[in-house]
Amino acid sequence: MQDDLKDLEHAKSFWYADWSFPIIVGLMSMGVFAGTSMYVNYGVGAFNEVAIVAMLKAGLTGKSFGPAAAFGASFLFARVLEGSLVGILDLGGSILTGVGIGIPAIMLSMGLTAPVKNFPLALLTGLVIGIIIGLIIFFVRKYTVGQSNATFGADVMMGAGNETGRFLGPLIILSAISASIPIGIGATAGAAIFYAWKKPLPGGAILGAMLFGFFFPIAV
Amino acid sequence: MQILTILIESIIVGLAVGFAAGVGAARMFNAPTVQALGAFRTLGEMNAAEGDPASHFSFGLGFFFNAWASTVGAGAFTQDITHRVIPNWAASILLLKNKNVAETVHNPKKMGIVSGIIGAVLVPFLNVTSASIPASLQVTAVKVLVPAADTLINMVMPILFWLAAIDAGRRSGLFGTVFGGVAALIMGNAVPGVVLGILVGKGVDELGWTRITRIILIATIALFVLSGFFRGFDINMLKAFKVGIPTWLNNMHSVVTPK
Repeated sequence: MQDDLKDLEHAKSFWYADWSFPIIVGLMSMGVFAGTSMYVNYGVGAFNEVAIVAMLKAGLTGKSFGPAAAFGASFLFARVLEGSLVGILDLGGSILTGVGIGIPAIMLSMGLTAPVKNFPLALLTGLVIGIIIGLIIFFVRKYTVGQSNATFGADVMMGAGNETGRFLGPLIILSAISASIPIGIGATAGAAIFYAWKKPLPGGAILGAMLFGFFFPIAV
Repeated sequence: MQILTILIESIIVGLAVGFAAGVGAARMFNAPTVQALGAFRTLGEMNAAEGDPASHFSFGLGFFFNAWASTVGAGAFTQDITHRVIPNWAASILLLKNKNVAETVHNPKKMGIVSGIIGAVLVPFLNVTSASIPASLQVTAVKVLVPAADTLINMVMPILFWLAAIDAGRRSGLFGTVFGGVAALIMGNAVPGVVLGILVGKGVDELGWTRITRIILIATIALFVLSGFFRGFDINMLKAFKVGIPTWLNNMHSVVTPK
């Protein structure tokens, strides 16, 4: 323990140093990219919001990978810039969305299916991508900033991002109602119960919709 | 057999993601001197529950249920698993033994190890329970969630970010509007453009036109030009304006995308 505190001052140990940052990003990317690989193979395991995974799903079901690729890649770009400037690389935008959705979408749209579908290869691909991202941040940080205290409007983006999450609950209920009457009733009741329990609405709306959808299935 | 494969793969994924999430989160408390990996909302929320293991645990638990429902429904964990559940549960376990936050939650080594273990249990749990769910349930969930998500991504998010950019000042409002429109034209979604507009606008507000802000602006414009070119936006635009496409441009496209 004493050693760790001393290391914080020197910032040279693995746990605190900038040089170890690419390794940490590499491990995170490895897991997230492989998670997307599992989603492509088994339909579970994507580390992202339903809304964002749906864009990848659109590509997988025969529509264009374009939206997922553009959305993910531009988020990654913006977050890598921001991350090196601010000192906190935003996990959601850079790794979960950029590496987890954007890069697989680009690869799949180009016909490169092996790195995404083969699990060991996905682990390796994710690791390499993460280390590259970490190195870019390491060098951008080393040669440009570190001195400036600007936030680059990170607070503004975070505020808008959190606000977005609040819309999902009502949207799911409205969407459930247009799917069928029983599912709509289920979603409304589920969301109300979750709200009464002080839980986020989307969880209750989804569970309620699924419960009623199980007993009153909709024709496909 | 497939369940077994999913189980083994999930443990590997959970271990890697959990470990990195824990180290990254603990490093946030030492940023900006230490480069961290996380999110501002995680930092704020963990500070809000600081020192109390029960708060950390129940905060994580609320989002765990939401994530579970989402995984069962659509196979998507939600970002809350890495942002909220893993770091907060790791913090609550560490705080049970030692109430000193500086020695536990702010320590990347301890947070990394505990988070890795949590990830290695949590990810397999989510994946295995949802993989054994009947297909009819997943159909319902997708029928409900995909339209809702489409509206969220294509309408709600761009508008909220756009309004935030406008409210954040004249410069970010102007850059946000221009980049947002261009991004919607080229990429099909305005959010990345508005985000870059806020980045440039607020950067200039805070730093002025320095070398850094100029580099960001040039990189942003390069991003738009390159993605416009690779997605064939230039050709489509010239066609829409009923302008002839110059031969050199067609040649450039055929070099890059041989078909």
